[in-house]
Amino acid sequence: MKNIKVKEVIKYLKTAFTKLSFSGKIVWSLAIFGIVLVIYRYAIGLGGVTNLSDGYPWGLWIGFDILAGIALAAGGFVMAGTVHLFGGHKYHALSKPAILTALLGYLLFIFGLFFDLGRPWNLWRAIYSWNHASPMFEVAWCVMLYTTVLILEFMPIVLEKFKLDKWLILWKNFVPWIVIFMLGMFTLAMSYSIVWALIMVAILLVWEVSMRKGWMPRDKQMPIILIMAGVMFSTMHQSSLGTIFLLAPTKLHTLWYTPIIPLLSLFSAIMTAPAMVTFESLMSEKILKHKSKFNLVSDLARWMPYLLSFYLLLKVADIIGRNAALETFNINAQAISWWLEILIGIIIPLILFITPEIIKTKGGLLWASSLVVIGLIWNRINVAIVGIHVEKWEAYYPFWTEIFITVGVVAIGLIVFKWAVENLPIYEHETVSAV
Amino acid sequence: MKALLIDSTRCIGCRACQVACKEWNELNAEQTTFFSGKGYQNPPDLSPNTWTLITYNEVEVNNRFDWVFGKLQCFHCNTPACATACPVGALEKTEAGPVVYHASICLGCRYCQLACPFKVPRFEWNKIIPEITKCTMCADRINAGLEPACAKVCSTDAIVFGEREELIAEAEERISKNPTLYVHHIYGKEEAGGTCVMHISNVPFKEIGFDTKIPMNPIVYNSSHAMKPIPYVLTGLGLVLGGVSWVVNRKKELEKETKMGKEG
Repeated sequence: MKNIKVKEVIKYLKTAFTKLSFSGKIVWSLAIFGIVLVIYRYAIGLGGVTNLSDGYPWGLWIGFDILAGIALAAGGFVMAGTVHLFGGHKYHALSKPAILTALLGYLLFIFGLFFDLGRPWNLWRAIYSWNHASPMFEVAWCVMLYTTVLILEFMPIVLEKFKLDKWLILWKNFVPWIVIFMLGMFTLAMSYSIVWALIMVAILLVWEVSMRKGWMPRDKQMPIILIMAGVMFSTMHQSSLGTIFLLAPTKLHTLWYTPIIPLLSLFSAIMTAPAMVTFESLMSEKILKHKSKFNLVSDLARWMPYLLSFYLLLKVADIIGRNAALETFNINAQAISWWLEILIGIIIPLILFITPEIIKTKGGLLWASSLVVIGLIWNRINVAIVGIHVEKWEAYYPFWTEIFITVGVVAIGLIVFKWAVENLPIYEHETVSAV
Repeated sequence: MKALLIDSTRCIGCRACQVACKEWNELNAEQTTFFSGKGYQNPPDLSPNTWTLITYNEVEVNNRFDWVFGKLQCFHCNTPACATACPVGALEKTEAGPVVYHASICLGCRYCQLACPFKVPRFEWNKIIPEITKCTMCADRINAGLEPACAKVCSTDAIVFGEREELIAEAEERISKNPTLYVHHIYGKEEAGGTCVMHISNVPFKEIGFDTKIPMNPIVYNSSHAMKPIPYVLTGLGLVLGGVSWVVNRKKELEKETKMGKEG
């Protein structure tokens, strides 16, 4: 009996697999291979599947899966903030896919944490075991709380799909209180001060009560306070991922080690948000055949020259201000990688974005925004891997299993994104945009 | 605060401290080969099973080559970067001096390894349930009123245990009594904000494997400007975001009302 069932399952899986397109087969195979490797990692420990060492305790997974992954998820809070807080209602159609990407990014990031951490089953201990001097403590709290915010932001899409109107009303009523509680606790954990926590709660209560009383305009679809919490947690999270490296003054190369690394980290993530949203919109049109909102993304593209030039200005002023400019003219891996980061991620896309003939075409816009995304990933890899130099230890480069686990994670992301776009009202027909 | 003072001029490289450390902390022996590290240095480096190590440095002293021995172990900083870094406080600076590790709450994130300027913590890379490992300055022995195993066993008093202030005074006295023998520096008096394991030496510290580029301030000074403003930024954002959304959305409402008014 059992045998027959197993056979049936295998047969079903076989037919399901053969039904996939060629690229679908590749993506699924990579995802499955990645999962197999993750299981293998748990069986033999981190040493067997990575080239990490006591000198280079962090590698590709921190640089790509975590630093770059989180930065690329910034589209979620930037778009949600633009639409609901700063009056950019016309971008509403772009904010749902951006929130989905952010949620997926964060869930994959937590999945990534589970195989990168040596003792992941202790992750929850950060809830009660506090060390507010640690940038990593801030990171841990931001991950937990912002993921909760993203789930709450995404919930109406699911509730809408299954027509659970009662739950939707319940959600609308409850969410603000959950958010006030979370932000109060977060402020308490970051300051160890009841006074700060109460100030935070008081501010939020003033907004919430004003909205309920009708003095302050209220978003009928989305509690403003939830969007605010998303922006606040993200601001702290994106910057704290830079702060982390401030504790390695003797290890991170001067090209990247700067007191303003939290600011650079936050700003580069915000700057990449429109590019990432554009990239996604145009790519889903290519692959998933969803008509992209080309007018909207072209509109977003107008912001890019300002964002890119400001980031370039920050980078240049910082490196000159710290007397590190001459370091860029050395001939070593770090200096070359720094120039590539600046050229690929800032200067070339800046030129593309200010050339109307290029940016008005879909192809040109796709190229320009892809470069910004690649430049951001390059920056994070530079900070986490290329820029870290620890004397006496052999240089780190990723082991093949590290690469394939990362590829597997990306493949899982693509599969889930495709499923969500096909089954949930993500790219929808303009219905909900009124405040 | 209790501390250790290690004097390279007195060390004869017998490695009894390495053995005593393994015995007291019940650490396994390591399979090594001849000359796998620097000369007779054995094992080649610190590891999860070797928490202290005598380094064998071939250095020119008075125009002839000589062996000068250094000692690697956790420095037990006064303000440890590892304890600042640890998100859950699994690394803790005790009042008695030792920096101790609580495995039961450790996440295994290895941020302590990145943060430690002395590159001391070792991770059990090949274990399914790994721990961070390092010298504990025999915190259990200190709590029981004993001195650390390595200091106890040292036959030439190259390792001395005592109150940190007294040891600094003693080191200064040794240097001033023998100013031509010693380098005029106590490594660990100010490094990384001061440490509880201090060294004096007859050759420059760089030549016996010590990092001389370590900042003299606690490592936490490098991140405090980014951590301190958090409550201000948070509450500031709370005010600004709410205020902006109020103004912007009210404006939109008014626009809509006037439009509706005109149409109606």
